[in-house]
Amino acid sequence: MRTENFIDDFIRDEKQTEPNPFLTTRIMAEVEKMQQTEIKIVPWWQIVVFVASIVAVVFLGITLGNSYINPISQEITMNINDNEIENFGYYSLNSHE
Amino acid sequence: MAEEQLIQEIVSGNTLAFKTLMEKYQERVFHVAMGFVHLKEDAEDLTQEVFIKVYQSLSTFNHDSEFSTWLYRITINTCINFVNRNRKKRVLQSIEDVWQSAFNQYDKEKTPLEKLITSERNLLIKKAIDSLSEKQRSAFILSKYEELPQKEIAAIMNTTEGAVEQLLQRAKNNLQKKLNRP
Repeated sequence: MRTENFIDDFIRDEKQTEPNPFLTTRIMAEVEKMQQTEIKIVPWWQIVVFVASIVAVVFLGITLGNSYINPISQEITMNINDNEIENFGYYSLNSHE
Repeated sequence: MAEEQLIQEIVSGNTLAFKTLMEKYQERVFHVAMGFVHLKEDAEDLTQEVFIKVYQSLSTFNHDSEFSTWLYRITINTCINFVNRNRKKRVLQSIEDVWQSAFNQYDKEKTPLEKLITSERNLLIKKAIDSLSEKQRSAFILSKYEELPQKEIAAIMNTTEGAVEQLLQRAKNNLQKKLNRP
């Protein structure tokens, strides 16, 4: 019986402990902080869509760039007008009189 | 405001309604937490944790049981998780408390020796309560700290009244065995 009395005394002492009067304020502050955080969080799918759209634009740019054909031909052609060419025979003679 | 209406308001985002609900149940949650942790600061932290959980999950409360039953369940689970997480730290804290309360200068009614004897006895009682199994401890705290009837304890612990009676009897026997050991 004495043990039970000691236990009851112990429990009675603990029950008399009162919480900090500002505990309610502290919890409400935490709740309000949570509410503000909820507004700022971006849904994950929005992030995925945003990244995917950037990748798509870059890919499209590269594809468009690769498909461009330069109209100017790279080959070199020589148009020689035979009537205006000097007689090369002149350069092979020893004298040009 | 009726409790159901209060809950509806909270789910709609009315924080003032949540404050009203919290003020109604704060002391009960605090006392249950004290039963588990025996320290005012830890009990306050637990009370905060419980009410944050309540706020976050209130929309999932489907009124299958009383709100107080649901709240006690969250409290018990949160306290058990806390105790399991902080087992080592709490042993050292308890020893420190014995010395602190033994040399408490504000208690003029007892001599230092009486204070030391009371502190050591309280430490033994705390250890004995803490050594009970989770179910026995939960039933014991709900019965002794909150003075809840066995029917309500059974609803909280999701068991029968007979099982609660057995748990309380075993808890009482275990405590006596541990505290009467020479």
